[in-house]
Amino acid sequence: MTLFDVVFSGNDAAYGLAEGAIDAAIEKYGADKAVSFPDTAYSLPCYYAVTGTKVNTLGDLKNALGVVKTLMTREQRLNDAFMSGVATALCAEFLEVLKYVDNPTPYEAPCAGHLPDAAIRELGVPLVTGDIPGVAVILGAAPTAEEGVELVKSYQAQGILVTLVGGIIDQCVEMGYKTGANVRVIPLGKDVTAVVHAVSVAVRAALIFGNIQAGDAAGLMKYTMERVPAFVNAFAPLDPVIVAAGAGAIALGFPVITNEETFRVPKSLIVQKDISKFNATSLEARDIKIKVTKIDIPVAFASAFEGEIIRRGDMQVEFDGSRVDCCELVLDVEDASKVEDHKIEVIGPDIDEFEVGSKHSIAYVVEVTGKSMQPDFEPVFERKFHSYLNCIEGVMHTGQRDMIRIRVSKDAFNAGFRVKHIGEVLYARVKSEFAAVVDKCQVKIYTDPAECTRIRHEVAIPMFDKRDERLTTLTDESVDVYYSCIMCQAFSPSHVCIVTPERLGLCGAVSWLDAKATHELDPQGPCQVVTKEKPIDERIGEYEDVNEVVKKLSQGALEDVSLYSIIEKPMTSCGCFECICGIEPLSNGVCIANREYAGMTPIGMTFSELASMTGGGVQTPGFMGHGKHFIASKKFMKAEGGVARIVWMPKELKDQVRDRLNETAKEMYGIENFCDMIGDETVAEDPETLLAFLTEKGHPALSMEPMM
Amino acid sequence: MGTFKLTTVEEFEAATNRLLETGKKVGADGWQYRVANQTPHCKFGEQGICCRICAMGPCRITPKAPRGICGCDAHGIVARNYLKFTAGGAATHSDHGREICHTLYCTSPDGNYKVKDPEKLIRIAKEWGVETEGKDIYDLAHEMAVLGMGEYGKVFGTQNFLKRAPQHTQEIWEREEIAPRAIDREVSCSLHMAHMGCSSEPKALIRQSLRAGLSDGWGGSMAGTEFSDVLFGTPKPIDTEANLGVMVAENVNIVVHGHDPSLSEMICEYADDPEMIAYAKEMGAKGITVSGVCCTSNEVAMRRGIPMAGNFLQQENVVLTGACEAIVVDVQCIFPALGPLSKCFHTKFITTSPIAQMPDSDFIRFSAENAGENAKLIVKTAIENFKNRKPELVYIPDMKQKATVGYSVEAIVKTLDGVTNSQVDVTGTTKPLIECITSGVIRGAVAMVGCNNPKVRPDTAHIELMKKLIANDIIIVASGCSAQAAARAGLMSKEAKDLCGAGLKRVCELADIPPVLHMGSCVDISRMMILVATLAKDSGLNISQLPVVGCAPEWMSEKAVSIGNYVVATGIDTFLGVDPYVSGSDQVAELLTSGIRDWVEASYTVEKDIEKLGDRMIERIEEKRAAIGI
Repeated sequence: MTLFDVVFSGNDAAYGLAEGAIDAAIEKYGADKAVSFPDTAYSLPCYYAVTGTKVNTLGDLKNALGVVKTLMTREQRLNDAFMSGVATALCAEFLEVLKYVDNPTPYEAPCAGHLPDAAIRELGVPLVTGDIPGVAVILGAAPTAEEGVELVKSYQAQGILVTLVGGIIDQCVEMGYKTGANVRVIPLGKDVTAVVHAVSVAVRAALIFGNIQAGDAAGLMKYTMERVPAFVNAFAPLDPVIVAAGAGAIALGFPVITNEETFRVPKSLIVQKDISKFNATSLEARDIKIKVTKIDIPVAFASAFEGEIIRRGDMQVEFDGSRVDCCELVLDVEDASKVEDHKIEVIGPDIDEFEVGSKHSIAYVVEVTGKSMQPDFEPVFERKFHSYLNCIEGVMHTGQRDMIRIRVSKDAFNAGFRVKHIGEVLYARVKSEFAAVVDKCQVKIYTDPAECTRIRHEVAIPMFDKRDERLTTLTDESVDVYYSCIMCQAFSPSHVCIVTPERLGLCGAVSWLDAKATHELDPQGPCQVVTKEKPIDERIGEYEDVNEVVKKLSQGALEDVSLYSIIEKPMTSCGCFECICGIEPLSNGVCIANREYAGMTPIGMTFSELASMTGGGVQTPGFMGHGKHFIASKKFMKAEGGVARIVWMPKELKDQVRDRLNETAKEMYGIENFCDMIGDETVAEDPETLLAFLTEKGHPALSMEPMM
Repeated sequence: MGTFKLTTVEEFEAATNRLLETGKKVGADGWQYRVANQTPHCKFGEQGICCRICAMGPCRITPKAPRGICGCDAHGIVARNYLKFTAGGAATHSDHGREICHTLYCTSPDGNYKVKDPEKLIRIAKEWGVETEGKDIYDLAHEMAVLGMGEYGKVFGTQNFLKRAPQHTQEIWEREEIAPRAIDREVSCSLHMAHMGCSSEPKALIRQSLRAGLSDGWGGSMAGTEFSDVLFGTPKPIDTEANLGVMVAENVNIVVHGHDPSLSEMICEYADDPEMIAYAKEMGAKGITVSGVCCTSNEVAMRRGIPMAGNFLQQENVVLTGACEAIVVDVQCIFPALGPLSKCFHTKFITTSPIAQMPDSDFIRFSAENAGENAKLIVKTAIENFKNRKPELVYIPDMKQKATVGYSVEAIVKTLDGVTNSQVDVTGTTKPLIECITSGVIRGAVAMVGCNNPKVRPDTAHIELMKKLIANDIIIVASGCSAQAAARAGLMSKEAKDLCGAGLKRVCELADIPPVLHMGSCVDISRMMILVATLAKDSGLNISQLPVVGCAPEWMSEKAVSIGNYVVATGIDTFLGVDPYVSGSDQVAELLTSGIRDWVEASYTVEKDIEKLGDRMIERIEEKRAAIGI
C-alpha cells in the first residue's frame, strides 16, 4: 500500500465514525439541537477556518460532513493526501464537538479537551518573544512510561508547550508527573480525535493573530507553516487514522516524528527509532532554536515553570511582603568601581535556618553599572524579576516593588535551593538580557529583618516615590518621541503598536520606558523611534510622521492611525491584547472586557466574540484592543471624551483599576468615585438594565455627544 | 500570493513581432521568412529515405522503387542516415569536450586559465587511478588533461567515466557490446559502418548509434562538463535573469553565443575589468552588459549569474534590438544568417573559432594560449562600436524574469543536505530526493532538454510540458535551450512553486528551490546521467526502474540525436516531439520505440501532439512507480 493509500483508508475510517456518530446524535436529539465548543467565537474552529461556515446545530454538522466528503479526493497526489488529512482532522473535530452536546464538561482532569480562545490569546506574546519556542503534540504511548515522561520533561525544560493525546497521558499519571496549563504540559484527551484540540489552537492563532479570513484554506496553511512552530511526536503503532491525521498536520506545516518504520519524507515525516533523540530530531525538523539558559542552580530554569503554583502544603518557606518588610530593587550605580561583577552577597540567615512553612522578610538589590545604563531602565529590569524568579522550578513569585511574595517549595529546598540562588538567577538573566547596557552586576540579598526594614523604608520607597514622580510628569506631551513596537509581527505580520507614555502596548507588556530600553538595547530591533513633529489632528492624535512609520512597518497594510480615538482610524490589534473595548450604542459609551472574563457583556458578546471582531493588524472602528493600564490614562478615548465613556467593565477589572481611574476622572471631570457609576456583571449583562443603572447613577456618558 | 506571473509565449511572440518590424525597416531577413520559403520540406528527406552516400544516386525510396541502386532498402537507408546523424552529434559534443581538455592543459597559476575547483580535479584523478598525493595541482591538471585527450584515441579499453554508472548498467553495456571505446573511434566506426557497401542491417546500425551516443554522454560531453567545472568552478545556486529585457540600452551590450565556455568566461572577465568599464564610459556608455544566447549563455549563467538574453531561435532577435554592439560566437548552433543580419545594424558579428567560420563576420581567432589578449580585443571592439549605434533602431522588449540557476549534481546534493535531519540522516547523498519520490510527494522527474525547432511553435512545448508536469508533482531538471525557455517564462523563479502540485510545492518551499532546476548546457546532460546513476545507487534500484524520463520536445540538431541515444542507452525512456527522420522505415521506428528496450531497458516515444506527449510521460512515470510498488 502506498503512503497515500494508508492516508485515504484512515480518512475513510474517520469519516465513517463521524457519520455514524452524527446520525446517532440526530436520532437522539433531533437535527435542531445546538452544538458548540465552549468559550470560542470561532464555532468549530477548524471547520470554520477551512470553509468559512459556522456550525450551530446537529443538522449543520450533517451538512458539514457533506462538505468534508468533497475534500476526500483519491488521486495519488500529495494534494489529495493533504486534503484527506484535513478532512480527517475535521471528522475528529465533529466527533469531539459531539461530546459537548448536553455536557459542558465532557473532559475531566487531567484532560482539558477544547481550549478556550483566551488561552490562545495568552500564548501570543510568549510565542513571539520565543519564551515558548515551540509547541509539541505528543500522540500515543511511548515504549515505556519512563521514556515518555523523559521526553515531556525535556520539552518542558526548553519552555516548549507540550500537548498530550492518548496513552502518554496515562504514562504521565502513572509516573506521577505534574501536568496542567500552568506548567505548559496540557493533556488534551485520551482518544486520538482529541488531537484536533491542538490543531484548533494553531488554526485559531491564524484567525486571531494572522488576520486569516475564515474560508481561506490556502492562507491558513501558509500561516501555520510559516508562523506556528508546532510539531508532532507520534509513537508506534500508527494506525491509518493516525497516519491520516498526520497528513493533516504535515499539510499545516507541522513535521511528524515517529518511531514506527514507515515512509520517510524530509523535514515532514521522520523516522527516529531512538526516543531519547525525539527532542533533538523534532527541534531540527521544525527549525526551532532554544535559547540556552544555563544558570548554576540545583533546580531547572525554564519558562515552562513560570505558571507553576506552590501550595501551602508543598512550601518550605515563604517571604511575604504583605506581612513583613520585603522589596526588590534595581539600582544604577554611577561609580563602576563599586560594583564587582557576579558578586552575590547574602546578608542574614539562609533558608535552612528557617522553620518549615514559616514567613520571612527578604530584600534583594541588584546593582548594575554600565556606560549606556540609564536610571529609566531600572524599573524595566525590575518588572522582569517576576518572570525570572517564576522560571525557577519550585519557586513562585508574585507582585512587585515592596509588595512581593516568594514561595520556595520543599522539593526545591531538598534539591539544595538556597537564597543565593535567587541572586544567581537575577545576575544571569540581567546580564544576558541586558548585555548591551549592563557591564557589571552584583546582587545583595537581605534576609535579616532589621536590614530589610532599613532597605525598604530608607532606600526602596524613596526610590519608588521618585520614579512615580517621574512617571506622572511623563506624558505624551512631555516627550519628544514615541516608539513603534512590532514584536508581534512574527505572528501578526501587519500589526504595529505605537507606544506613548500614556498609552502602553495593547499586550500590557510594553510601556514607553520598556520600548525605550528595548530600542537602546537593540537599535535595529522591534522598537524604533517615532517622531511626532508633524501633527495632522491633535484631537484624535494623528501625526504625519506616525502614519509614515505605521505604513512602512505594516508593509503598506495600514495607511493612517490615530492614537486617541476608537472611532476614527483606531490603532490596530495583534490579538494578544489584555482588554478589548467596544461601543455600546444604547448608553452612548463603551464596555471593556478583560481576557480573564468569561461571561457576557451588555454588547451581547463575550470577550472572545468581541476579540474576534478585531485583531490580526486590522482597523475595526468601534472596537479596540488595549492594555489594562491604559484604562486610567487621560488619553483613553480622548477624542471621544475620555474615560467618562466607560459604562461597563467586569468587577474584577474594575477593582484592579479603581484607584487610578477614580483619580483620573476626578482630575478630568471633577467626578468623585467614578468607578461606582460604572456597571459590571453583577449589575447588568444586557443594555437595558445597564442603561437604567447608568441613569440612576447619573453617568456622564449619557449626556455626552452621540458617539456615532 | 505575490504578483508573480509567468511570461507567456504570446508575449514572447508579440515582442518578436515588434522586433521584426525593426527588421523590415532595415531590410533584414529572419528565420520566420526562411521557414516559409523552405516549406513544405522534402518528403524523402523527412522520412529519412533519401540516400546520397555514394555518387550513383541520390536514390529515393518509393513503393515503385523500394531499393536503391546498390540494393539497399528503406530500413538500411533510414538506419544509416540515423547513425550518420548521431555520429555528427557525438563528434560535435565530444570535440567541444576535447577543447576543454586542451584549455585545462593550458592552465597555469598566473595564466589566463586557472584551476578553480582543485577538489573536483583531485576527485576525478582518484577515480581514474591517478596518484594525487603531494602533486602540484597544475601538474595534476596537465596530467589529467593529457589523459582526458587520450580518451579520444585510447588504443584499448572503454571510456573511463563508465565506471560511474551502476554495476547493472555497466553489465548491460558490456552484454550488448555498446560500451564505448575511444571516442574518435566510435565516430569513425559509425561513419565507416554507414559508408557505401558496409552495414545495411538496421539492428547493427542502431546498436552502433547507441554506442556512439554513449561515447558522447559518458565520454566527450562528460569530459566537457567535468573539466569545465575544474577550470571555471562547479556551479552552485545563483540568481540571474532571462529574456531580452536583460540587455541594457545605456550600456555596451556584448552577447556571447555558442557553446564553449573558454571564450565566454574570458569575455566576462574582461567586461568586468575596471579599465574596460572606464573605456566604455569614455565612449559614452554607462557600462558594459554581457548577456548570452544558447549554451555558452547557460555556462556563464550557471557559474557567474550572467543573464540569459535568449535561446536558439532568439539569436536574431538579439541583433534586431539595435542595441547589440557585438555578438561574439564560438561553436555550434550559430545561424550563418547572423552575418547578413548584422550588416543591417551596427552590430559586429565576431566569429572566433576555426571550427565555425562564417561569411560577413569579423574573425578574431581565439586560442587558449592567447585568451586574455583575444578577449580584451573583442571587448574593446564592442566598446568602440557603441558610437555607431543608430538610436532610432533601438528597441529592447521590456521583458525578463528572475531565475535561480546553477544546479550541478554537487549543488543538488548540497541542497538536499539542507533538508536532512542530522539526528537520523547522513549527508552527501540523494536520499532525501529518493524519499520524496518513494513516499509519492514527488511522482518522478523529467529531464527536459534540447533545442527550439520552427516545426514546433517555439518554446510552447517546453513551457507547456513543464507547467503540466510540475502541476502533477513531477520535478524538472532542464538544460540547454529548454532551460532557457523555462527561465524566460519564469519557471526557474522560486515563486513558480505556486504553479506546482501540493507535493512539489512543499518540496520547493522546504528545499528553497525553483520547480525547474537548471543543470547547464547541452554537454551538461552528462550531469543528468551522473544524477540518475547516483539516484540508482542510493536507492538500490536500476536506472530503468526509477520514475524518471527524458524529453526533447523541440529538438533539431544532430547533437540532440546523439544525446537521445545515450540517454536511452543509460536506461531512461526518452520522449521526442519531433521525428528523427525515421518514419520511412517501420523496422527502424519499431526498433527505436520498442525493440531496443530488450537491449537497454528503455526506448523512445515520438509524439508530435504536445498535450499527449505530456500525458504519456506522466503515464510512464506512474507505470514505473506501480512496478516497484510505490
